[in-house]
Amino acid sequence: MSTPPTVKLTIDGVEVEVPKGTGLVEAALAAGIEIPVFCYEPRLGPPVGACRMCLCEITPGPPKPQAACTLQAADGMVVKTALTSPMAAEAQNATLEFILVNHPLDCPVCDKGGECPLQDLTFRYGPGNTRMTFPKRTFDKPIPISPLIALDRERCILCYRCTRFSEQIAEDGQLVAVNRGSETQIATFEDDPYRAPFTGNVIELCPVGALTSTTYRFEARPWEIQDVPTVCGLCPVGCNVYATTREGKVKRILSRNHPDVDGGWLCDKGRFAYQHVRAEDRLRDPLLRVRRRGFEEVSWERALDEAERLLREAEGRIVTALSGSETIEQAYALAKLLRGGLGSHAAMLPEEVSDALDGFRVPLSAIGDAKTIAVLGDAPVVERAPIVDLWIRRARRNGARVVNEPDGADILIWCGPGGDGGARVAQLAQQVGASGAFYLPETANARGVSDAWAAAADTEATNPDPIGLLIVSGDEAAANADVRALAEQAERVLVISMFHGLAAGWADLVLPGTSYLERDGTYVNLEGRVQRLRRAVIPPAPDELAWISQLAGRFGVDVSPYPTAVFEEVSAIAFGGIPFGAVGDHAELPPATQRVDQGSGPAGVRAQQFDGLHLIRYRALFSGPAVERTPELQFQRPLAEVELSAEDANARNIRPGDEVTVRSNGTSVTLRARLNRDLRAGVVRIAEEHARDLQPDVELST
Amino acid sequence: MAPELVLAHARERDLTKLAEYEAVGGYQALAKAREMTPQAVIDEVQASELRGRGGAFFPTGRKWAFIPKPDQNPNPHYLVVNADESEPGSFKDNEIMATVPHRFIEGCLITAHAVEATRVFVYIRGEYTGPYEVLVGALEELQSRDDILGGVTIVLHRGAGAYICGEETALLESLEGKRGQPRTKPPFPAIEGLYRSPTVVNNVETMATIAPIIDLGGAEYAKLGVPDSRGTRVVSISGHVERPGNYEIENGTSMRSLIYDLGGGIPGGRALKAVIPGGSSTVILRYDEIDVGYDFNSLLALKTAMGSAGVVVLDDRCCMVQLGIRISEFYEHESCGKCTPCREGTRWMTQILRRLEAGDADQGELDLLLSVCDRINGKCLCPLGDTAAIAVASYVDKFRGEFQQHVDEGGCPFGDSSPLHNVLAPVAMRTHSPAAVVPA
Repeated sequence: MSTPPTVKLTIDGVEVEVPKGTGLVEAALAAGIEIPVFCYEPRLGPPVGACRMCLCEITPGPPKPQAACTLQAADGMVVKTALTSPMAAEAQNATLEFILVNHPLDCPVCDKGGECPLQDLTFRYGPGNTRMTFPKRTFDKPIPISPLIALDRERCILCYRCTRFSEQIAEDGQLVAVNRGSETQIATFEDDPYRAPFTGNVIELCPVGALTSTTYRFEARPWEIQDVPTVCGLCPVGCNVYATTREGKVKRILSRNHPDVDGGWLCDKGRFAYQHVRAEDRLRDPLLRVRRRGFEEVSWERALDEAERLLREAEGRIVTALSGSETIEQAYALAKLLRGGLGSHAAMLPEEVSDALDGFRVPLSAIGDAKTIAVLGDAPVVERAPIVDLWIRRARRNGARVVNEPDGADILIWCGPGGDGGARVAQLAQQVGASGAFYLPETANARGVSDAWAAAADTEATNPDPIGLLIVSGDEAAANADVRALAEQAERVLVISMFHGLAAGWADLVLPGTSYLERDGTYVNLEGRVQRLRRAVIPPAPDELAWISQLAGRFGVDVSPYPTAVFEEVSAIAFGGIPFGAVGDHAELPPATQRVDQGSGPAGVRAQQFDGLHLIRYRALFSGPAVERTPELQFQRPLAEVELSAEDANARNIRPGDEVTVRSNGTSVTLRARLNRDLRAGVVRIAEEHARDLQPDVELST
Repeated sequence: MAPELVLAHARERDLTKLAEYEAVGGYQALAKAREMTPQAVIDEVQASELRGRGGAFFPTGRKWAFIPKPDQNPNPHYLVVNADESEPGSFKDNEIMATVPHRFIEGCLITAHAVEATRVFVYIRGEYTGPYEVLVGALEELQSRDDILGGVTIVLHRGAGAYICGEETALLESLEGKRGQPRTKPPFPAIEGLYRSPTVVNNVETMATIAPIIDLGGAEYAKLGVPDSRGTRVVSISGHVERPGNYEIENGTSMRSLIYDLGGGIPGGRALKAVIPGGSSTVILRYDEIDVGYDFNSLLALKTAMGSAGVVVLDDRCCMVQLGIRISEFYEHESCGKCTPCREGTRWMTQILRRLEAGDADQGELDLLLSVCDRINGKCLCPLGDTAAIAVASYVDKFRGEFQQHVDEGGCPFGDSSPLHNVLAPVAMRTHSPAAVVPA
């Protein structure tokens, strides 16, 4: 590899050498010097030079202060910041004076106070007093932008970060600036709520307290919180996050920017659904079914006795239904107990997974640099792995083509049914010579759970019949219709669940489960990256690993209650022996493995031909137990819509917004039509909660 | 009297008609230019020493020469004409489009040939309904004349009432359908302009000067005027003069002659107090500074400029603080809101000026006004904020005594008798309202 060309410049007398193309803000950083900024945020695309905070004295150039954020380092350039240039100091001081002319001094009651760039930069570069003697510009405050976001227009310094995010990154185009000059305001069209998958990022982008989270407002001061670095456990992307805690409670979720995974963005589910941890129907004590009296809360000692009895009575005829949200350690510990102690290893895995893709392993950020991206499988990417949608948009902005046939693509993404856990897309990737391929699973840690489960086995498991005991691990499994059907056949059912109600009526014993925010351990994301979960808050009940360890002891199986120890045991078998400590805060992606011949599959990507339209039912991003328990997210639930291609719409004379009837086998549902130009002809999409009993083969009419 | 080039024959004939324009030799320069290579046309314009008539005075031929050749950048080239004339005091482009539309169009077509563009966008001020209809009519007449259009498409796009869209990059943003706010430069439009493609942005008068230059030859054109300011200029004279209007002058004509010969002097035998030489954004000249040539270098020596050639004459009854309010209100109203100093500073300036006029200001606030102007000037993203500060600061600079009087006497010595209503329209009149319905 050749080293990129570099340039040498001088900043405040310090000579630095940086790669060609480096912005001056970063070049200064390399010299240990701050160029203060508000509007500058490289993740939002090209600099705009709006706020004028970064004004510096720069030669060569006109004899007036230049917006350093808009310039790139060049050979022989001499930059003087406020540190050494009276001209720059005066200009930066002037910018802050102008910003503060109409900015309210409500810092004591502002959520941003204490972690506010405007406060910090005023302290370092601004005037210590005010020359403004006129009434300040006032607005009603705060006003809701949505149930999630409050806008204080008085505090807004019009850096346009939020509108640039909406227009250029999420491309939802909903947040805009209206009016002009000093009357400019941030707003949505006709005051509609800002309803899109990624809205919460504007709160984090806001350099002042203008955009605040309705769920965090007045909840904490920055000096009494702790940010716990962990990863989000709500989808297979595994965005790196900080869980902000105060007095043992999670108060908010912030991005922890892993440049290869999430690029510093979060979806609203990951950002706001943390409230499920403190839901009112949270289980705190084990529940035991008592004849005629229903469930009774019992002590943990009693619960473990009951669990032991259920396990022994089943005589090895045990099946475990997994959720895919367990940590690697939890899944391995459970598997080791059942295998080692009881000789039973049958499992219902949350979904199919395959190691065929390991040969095409690339980071998610590679999507952003791709030239042609094939999105296969027909389910909406944003609903399953939201951040992947942002990477695809970025690629498209860079000129990439996004297609839904694999030919000629350098990156393949399979999202939808029929992918054989990634084996199919690996096969296609091999056929078309793609450089990378992804399979988007439905659950956060399907791959990790599957690998951990397999690591505890030395033989293939056989399915017992009849089932003596069904262990339902986690809420996703408990909500799964197939699992419930299995429970009908099982003699006894043990459920691990976070919430009351889910298992009522069919469980014999319910043990309280924990959330990803309450666990130490590891997850494997859809790239194949092992990432570290850190316990942000103490769960209301012992975590799964703790009691599995105790229970295992009763069967003479040695399972450590510590994730570190369990991970090292499972890692030696399934993850190349990497030690727990090496997972790190910004986990690295293991290199792609040797590609193995995948053989050739059927031509094309469609598994099955349909006479009418093929219905893709999908689990909406804003659905599931965590979302259901977050009141502020309810407005994000999927609309009663059917998505279809323009071709199919034209053939049926359907226009956007029309009410259409979707029929199959005698059932029908009436929904609003939405046209999607990225959808293939012949495919329609409906969110699970609106699709009711529709079969895969449907027809549409107005 | 200099020869009329831009407005030639417009008084004796109805040049809005194609036949009339062709009868006076119209579109022959276009035919001549198309015989030449694009580079030869650029060379001819460079030889003419023509500089942009929009206000920035950038050499037109050099601007064209910046356009990368098709082998350097495969994107299409665009010609965008800035017809968003909104500078208080300037109304020359209005008259050019309304009276010599074909000379303007001919210039566009020659320029399109020179920069190898097949699409021309004319971004016309939304309130200019009259010139818009004239241009629509002229283009309709040309519809069947492929010999003239030569495969070039000319699109008229009406602005929506924002002064900032006269700034070339804000104009391009607006033309792309976005909020009209300036972009940072570089990249300059010649490299990345409309739709990130090489784009030439020229003013209406510049375009209307191209055909005469090709007609005469660049060298011949350059014999008119004075060094650095060649050829003729259409000047809008307004305010307190007997005969306000547009006049085509040879560059270098004295300011005194503009006011007293062309403008016919101050009505009612009143005395001249000051003159704004080049539209509201230029440094004001006192009554004793008018013996100066109306050209780039002579005005630069007085730290001012021809700008967009809007000469606003003020008689001795005018209050400079009131003028400051009027100008400051205008810039506050028209600030796009993108950069901080302009957005916040112009508002603050207006507040201080209003307090001065009301007689409530103390000495410190007069100094504060100058400090605010100084803190805006040179710190903004585009020239809008800078020029607001420069213009107002020049009123204080040249009429300090009068500002001081407002502080000392606790009020305005002129009161309601300052006849500014004849000079520059107040902001209230510029607030955009649904204009006459014009066929799209």
